[in-house]
Amino acid sequence: METQATAKDWVIEGRNLRKRYGHGCPMCVSLTGPEQGNRCPVCGSITACADINFALTKGEILGIVGESGSGKSTLMQVVNLALPADGGELWYREMGAMEQEQSPVNLLALDKYARRTFRNQRLGIVYQRPELGLNMNFSVGGNVAEKLLLADWRNVGRIRQRTSELMGLTELPTARIDDEPRMFSGGMLQRVQISKALSSNPAVLLLDEVTSGLDLSVQAKVLDLIRRIQWELKMTMLLVSHDLGVIKQLAGRTIVMKSGYIVEQGLTDQILEDPQHPYTQLLVSSAL
Amino acid sequence: MSDDVIGQLLQRLTTSQTQTEAGATLAQAAQGGREPLYNFAFIDEDSKREVRRKLLKGVALPGHLVPFASRDLPIARGWGTGGLQVTLALVEPRDVIKVIDQGDDDSVNAVNLRRLIQKTTGIAFTTDTTRATVLQSRHRIPEERLRADQILVLQVPMADPLRWVEPNIERATEMHAEADYGHMWVYMYESVVRSGDMNIASEYPVIVEKRYMMDTTPIPRYDVGRLHMAEMLTLFGAGREKRVYAVPPYTHIVPLEFEDYPFTTEHDPSKHCDKCGANDTYLTSYFVESPTPEGAGCWTYLCSDTSYCEKRTRVRGQRVTMEAS
Repeated sequence: METQATAKDWVIEGRNLRKRYGHGCPMCVSLTGPEQGNRCPVCGSITACADINFALTKGEILGIVGESGSGKSTLMQVVNLALPADGGELWYREMGAMEQEQSPVNLLALDKYARRTFRNQRLGIVYQRPELGLNMNFSVGGNVAEKLLLADWRNVGRIRQRTSELMGLTELPTARIDDEPRMFSGGMLQRVQISKALSSNPAVLLLDEVTSGLDLSVQAKVLDLIRRIQWELKMTMLLVSHDLGVIKQLAGRTIVMKSGYIVEQGLTDQILEDPQHPYTQLLVSSAL
Repeated sequence: MSDDVIGQLLQRLTTSQTQTEAGATLAQAAQGGREPLYNFAFIDEDSKREVRRKLLKGVALPGHLVPFASRDLPIARGWGTGGLQVTLALVEPRDVIKVIDQGDDDSVNAVNLRRLIQKTTGIAFTTDTTRATVLQSRHRIPEERLRADQILVLQVPMADPLRWVEPNIERATEMHAEADYGHMWVYMYESVVRSGDMNIASEYPVIVEKRYMMDTTPIPRYDVGRLHMAEMLTLFGAGREKRVYAVPPYTHIVPLEFEDYPFTTEHDPSKHCDKCGANDTYLTSYFVESPTPEGAGCWTYLCSDTSYCEKRTRVRGQRVTMEAS
């Protein structure tokens, strides 16, 4: 299997990432796999991610596709540093001023405090369910301002100005900055989440099933917005979806996951036009 | 903080109450007032030792909430059991204690707590802040500057400042561990946006030594700034929530504030105490009805710290007498 992108300008790179739910046993490796399934018949542990290798280059959108339970969201949470990985490395390379690359850092080796700081400053995430990404007791402006406050912004006037800019960028009415999230529709809440994720000017934006549960017209608007942001800000994105249509519209490269394993990866067009693995063929034929 | 002050405090925390019960009884018998029915300071020695150990941990980690096994006391939870346990765990027969509630030495709560301590210890009491070695308080820090050899014990109703934004205690503990105070900052931001200013009158959150966020208990904002680099050891006890925490002497206490909305106190120099004339103290307002039915009545102000007010009034009276003579 092709392992990882060999591009020189990678921003984030996962090497042999592993995540298992349960205690595990020596038989887990041999008794789980894309064909056998991810539950170990001996100990009952679930292998959510097994030897995941990927590299995300600057400004690209990498899609992760697979059925429910294939480990895509777990991988997303590992990359978001919200779930500890059981093994492997997650390297991050900051591109400094003048595009000079700096020495890479293994994010999984950082302590808890440093991970949280990194997550707040360099990563942004948009969840499928807005209540996971937003605090429903705060106003929309407060939610968007949270990351700015965490980055030591201490001027209310400047915070509000930046929040309004971000809301404008995501086509939200700035007059509703002080409204509570529960007064917004599903599509608007996804925009609020995107505003919040963008507020810290992250290096990588993680999108976890952002259009699931939205009706088709709203889906199209959110996808347009993501495409525009990627175009304008040259944002690096990791996109998880079970919808091949979304992947086709946004992602340049795609990883196909099944039972915690990568079964195929490559250019999105190539995967959709000429799928090699039987599971990918099944996915593509089902979508069509 | 100077080493000798820390040494004295640690010595006090580690050695107080290590004397035998018989010794304590003898000492109290000499002073009188203690009912021999009770253990010295009501709580058993092992429990007091546990409280002192937790307090030591609190002193070592300023602002960190330390769980402790809050004991049952003959007063209801929420009436100062946390502060009382801290006081009872610390007092020695030679101590002089002052108990105040809302700055008042003679309020019902203060008198009841004082009576309980008196019955179970027999130690001396005072209303003079400068004479006291241990001061138990609710809602106020006494006006007179406390010294390094004094301990201020504050009763705390709600120990965790994150309770407003995170009701799950487990999650709030994690947030403290990771210094993840984003939600609290958003709460402050929302407060400014909605009301045009920080609308937190008491329990104002502060950052202790650039690390832990701490609740300052129901002391007014006027007293928050007085915790910064204070000479005395301040101990906080929350009996209902089973938490103690501490601010050692000379600790940095910084209230949460924004550049364009700085932290302000309630102090208004144009108002002054009707009794002693002070305008540099925390004042409480009272509505005085007019003696005549036609009159509208008026608001009047008095020092919240009654003993300080009386002291000033006495001095003022003496000065007037001297001038007259």
